[in-house]
This record gives sequence, structure tokens and C-alpha cells, in this order.
Amino acid sequence: MGDKVSPIAALSPASRAWGEIGERSEHPRWGMVVDQERCIGCWSCAVICKSENDLPLGMWWNRILTEGDALDQPAQARGEALEMHWLPLACQHCENAPCVKVCPVQATYHRDDGLVMQDNDRCIGCRYCMIACPYGVRNFNWGAPVRPTPYETGMVAARPVGTVEKCTLCVHRLAEDQVPSCVWSCPTGARVFGDLNDPEGRVATLIRDREGFALLEEVGTKPAVHYLPPRRRNPL
Amino acid sequence: MSATTMPAAPAAAPVPGRRALALWIGLLLILIAAGVAAFAYQFATGLVVTGMRNTVMWGNYILFFMFFVGLSAGGLIVASAGRLFGVKAFKPITRLAVLEATIAVVLAATFILPDLGRPERLLNIFLFFNPTSPMIWDITIVIVYMGLSAFYVWLYARADLARRGSWLALGTGTSERTLAREERLKSAMAWVALPAAILLHSITAWIFGLQISRGFWYSSIMAPMFITSALVSGMGLVILLALVLRRLGRLRFEDDLVAMLGGLLGTFIAVEAFLVFAEYLTASYPGAPEGAAVARMLVGPYAPLFWFEVGVGLGLPFVVLAIHRLRRDPRAVAAASGVAILGIFVHRLNLVLNGLSYANIQLPPGLPVGVDQGAGTSFATSYWYVPTAVEWLIVAGILAFGALLFTIAVRVLPMQEPEAH
Ligand code: SF4
Ligand code: SF4
Repeated sequence: MGDKVSPIAALSPASRAWGEIGERSEHPRWGMVVDQERCIGCWSCAVICKSENDLPLGMWWNRILTEGDALDQPAQARGEALEMHWLPLACQHCENAPCVKVCPVQATYHRDDGLVMQDNDRCIGCRYCMIACPYGVRNFNWGAPVRPTPYETGMVAARPVGTVEKCTLCVHRLAEDQVPSCVWSCPTGARVFGDLNDPEGRVATLIRDREGFALLEEVGTKPAVHYLPPRRRNPL
Repeated sequence: MSATTMPAAPAAAPVPGRRALALWIGLLLILIAAGVAAFAYQFATGLVVTGMRNTVMWGNYILFFMFFVGLSAGGLIVASAGRLFGVKAFKPITRLAVLEATIAVVLAATFILPDLGRPERLLNIFLFFNPTSPMIWDITIVIVYMGLSAFYVWLYARADLARRGSWLALGTGTSERTLAREERLKSAMAWVALPAAILLHSITAWIFGLQISRGFWYSSIMAPMFITSALVSGMGLVILLALVLRRLGRLRFEDDLVAMLGGLLGTFIAVEAFLVFAEYLTASYPGAPEGAAVARMLVGPYAPLFWFEVGVGLGLPFVVLAIHRLRRDPRAVAAASGVAILGIFVHRLNLVLNGLSYANIQLPPGLPVGVDQGAGTSFATSYWYVPTAVEWLIVAGILAFGALLFTIAVRVLPMQEPEAH
């Protein structure tokens, strides 16, 4: 992936600065926190992900789940109060990644910085990784891609039919010291990207101070993505 | 039955006419051609032509893969255990069981191909072998086992081939000494074949049973359950094929053997039922999320399939085989074997469907389906998997390929094992 020309160089200095990753340790392990208190369920990050990575119709690397039983409906919790929270979900870039373990051909693998990558030129399309992933974030290219426009909008090359794809944490942007597109585009700043290995960094501090949690901690995948629980409950 | 050694095959009794045979082979060839065409179409278009989607990403092909691995392991476990423990009565069906095991594993391996999104990259498996993947070990054992069982088939046929003067005997003689050596080799092979067959199906079970992401499968009983279901279906198929070959005059044995095999099948069914019960009781008792998958299986949309498995697949044949009078009737045993095989197929169907029906994170809108849904939503929390015509054509083609292999094999290879020395 990634033989396209990045337009990041053409950004204004202010835009560049807005998307810069910032401080990190010597051996960064990239991670993200998603603040459920800030998320308003607008799907901006999910939509920019589709455009950034040129996802065909029917596929989503990043999606916004509603907590409760119905989409974008408040749920009743704690007594009679109605509340509404969202759970933006994409690849968790697990440290102990089941998908990496099961792939027969090592087409999904770890980079040194902890990112779980996908080699679409090697993948044989057995879909075992989709079975193994507890988060349901992997997409298979079932057939020829259908796109809403004839233009390839993405900043990365399209993936071939018959292979699996998923969130890369915008690895092509990281190479230019820019945060993933879901992070800079979030209108409420609900996403923070950074180095989990830097104990004083923003990500680690937020996880500590706000009692951040990982999804499905009980399955032992050690995700790089953490969530911050909502503090203020705003009963409707 | 008297003769101590049988010269080649027993004289063909009521062999079906050449016409019937030609018709049968013609039909198989048509089915194979249709399957190949369907596979070519799927290869050109992508797996979008199947009923599978991101929500239920494994379907018919994997199901038939498991089913045939089971048929194969079951057949070889019966044959080699009979040899190891000196069950003389099994002798007449040993060759058949070994042949059945060989053809079944070839079919299982064939079913892997259409399941892959990129079958042309199959060799990557050897180039980029990932030792932590259960799938890689399963494919390895399938290949090893295929070689072993083919060798075993040949070993059993060798003396007869030598007697016929066939070059396929690869230079063995028919003297007492060489025959004795062959017998020792067969016994030695049983020592290898039995663990190989058990490994084969256990590793297949671990493809599923080691996945913590699928609570419904994540269970240590998976491998034992796969072994018993292999025994039920493998035994059942060997009984059916033996009766067919006897009818065609290719094999001779007494009804006593049918009753004995039937009794054994009944025992296997009882053990299978016990394991199924133990598994689902353990899964549902704590009331944890895995229990929800069990509840869905018992009363949800796929419930009729589960109750079919219990009632028709396990209950009915067990009752038939437990009744002494019925067990002595080859037709009743054949019928019981047939429904038991079907029951195991449905058992595996239930495993796959229910294992996939429950996502760990069940929040709306669910998983992206993966293909353009037109004006509809591209998400689904549950998905009703129905195989498409393309999938069935490919399955039918592979099954026909197996039937063709078997038809040729029983015409070329002597099936009757000489009586004990
Ligand atoms: S979230 Fe799923 S796809 Fe991503 S690393 Fe973990 S197991 Fe793999
Ligand atoms: S689908 Fe591709 S990435 Fe996933 S396990 Fe199979 S070969 Fe590996």
C-alpha cells in the first residue's frame, strides 16, 4: 500500500502543526485514547477514514457503535435516567493480537512500533483472522469494489479482491509525523494519538487520570486503543 | 467363507451392467464439469458470489472441509484400531475403510481451495509458514495424512496386485516370506495411522476451539467431540459403503459383522451425545455470554437444526442400533448409519453457524457487511447465511469427484482382504 503522493506537504503550516504527532519516547508504541465523554456520535472520523483509505461501499474500517440496544437512541441506565454514549470502534492494534497469531502466512504482522499491519500482496484470503479478531473490525474484499464516484479518493492504494483489510492507524500519515485522519478531524477532539511508552505523554496521562479502559480486557489482547469513560452523566 | 487366500477380486456377481456404470460416470463427469465452471466463475468474480459476508465469513466450504476430515479420520481410526487391537472380525472391511479415509481426506483438501479468496496464492502457506497458526498445522497434517493413507491403501492392495502381475505392486513377490513381511508392515503402519488420524481431526478442532474470540467454540472438549463425531460419521459411511459393495458383489462378509459394526456405531453415538450435552450444559449454566449463543441454538432461528441433530441425528439411530433385533437387520443398520452421518453434518453446521452468530460486541449498528447494499444499511448485527447456487455447484462437483475416485478405485483395487492366516 501507499504508492500515492501525499498531499501533506502542500498543507499550510497551521494545518501541519494541527496534525503533528508531538512528543514521544525513544521507542514509541503508538496508541490512541477515545474519550466517550466527548464523542457525539457524528461519524466524522468514520467518513474521513473511508475517504482517506479509499474504502469501497459496504466496508468500514472505523464505525461508531451506540451503547444500548438501538442505533443513535438513548439507553436507560442507572435508575430511570436516559443517557446516550457512543463507542467508536476500529482495529485495536492489539499487542497480543489473535489475528497475527492465526494468520497462516504471516500476512498480518506487528511492526516494531506495535502497529498491526496487513500485507495484501501476501494474504490468501482464508479469513481466519476475521474469525480470531474479537472486535469484528476486519473487512474482506468479497468482490470488485463499488465506489460512489469514479475517482479514487484515497491517499493509499486500493486493496485487491479476495484479501482482508482493516485500520492501519493511517500508517502513511505517521511516516510524515502526522496523526491518523480520524484524530485531527474529530470535531470534539475526542481522539488523542500518541506514544503509550512515554509515561508522561498525553495518552498515558489521560489513561491514568481518567481511568481509561480497553475493550474486552478479559480476552487478553492488550489493545493499543483505550477508552475514557464518560464522567459527567447528562441525563436527558 | 472358506478360502485362505483370495485370488484377486471375488468373481463379479451381479455387477451392474456397463450401461449403468457408463451412465453413473457420465453423471459424475457432468457434475464435476459444472463444479469446475462454478469455481472458475467464483475465481473471476470473487467470493461475493457466495452467501458469506463479513458477518458470517465461513460457510459451506469450511463445513464440508470439517465434515470430510471427520469422515476420513473416523474411517482410519476404525481400520487401524481394529488392526492394532487384533479385531479379526474387522478384516473384511479394513481395505474399504482405508480407501474411504484416503478419498475423504483428498476431498477435504480440495474443499480448502474454493474457500480461499486468493487460491492462486496457496503456495504462500509453504513460503511464509506461521507456526502459531492452527490452520497451518491442519494443512500440514492433511498433507502428511494424505500421503500416509494413500500408502496404506497401496500396502493393502500390494500382494493382490503382485498376484495379478501388476506393475503397481512395485516389485513385491507373493512368497510366504514377503507376505509375512507385508503383514508386519501393515501392523507397523497402524501404529502411525491411528495417531495421525486422531491428530488430523484434533487439529481441525483446534482451528475452532482455540479461538477465545468465539466463546461458543472456545472449549477444551472441542477436540474430543470432533473425534467422536468423526467416529460416528466415519463408521457410518464405512458401513454404508460396505453394504453397497456387498450388493455389487465386490465384497463378502456376514450379517454378523454388520450387527457388530452397528453396535459400535451405537456406542459412538452415545459418547457423542454425552459430550454434546456436557459441552452445552457447561456453556449455558453460568449464564455468561456464551450461554446466550447456546440459548440461541436451543430456541433461536437455527433451533430446528439443533433439534434435528439431537432427535434425528443422535436419538433415532441410537434407538435403532440399541434394539437387538433391528441391529441384526442390515437395512435398519444402513438407515441408522445414513441418518447418523446426516446428524453429524448438521452437528458441524450448528457449530459453525452458532459460533459465528454471536459477536463479542453486540452494539448497533453491528458489523459492516462488506459489500454494497444499495440504498440499505451496510451494517448488520445478525446475518442469515444461506449458501448460493454457486456454492452448491462447487460442493456437488467436489462430491462427484470423490464418487468418481471411489468408483474407479473399487474397480481397480481388490477390496476383499484375505481371511486370517
Ligand atoms: S483489533 Fe482485531 S484486527 Fe486489530 S489487532 Fe486486534 S485482533 Fe487484530
Ligand atoms: S485472510 Fe489473509 S490476513 Fe487473514 S488470516 Fe488469512 S491469509 Fe492471513
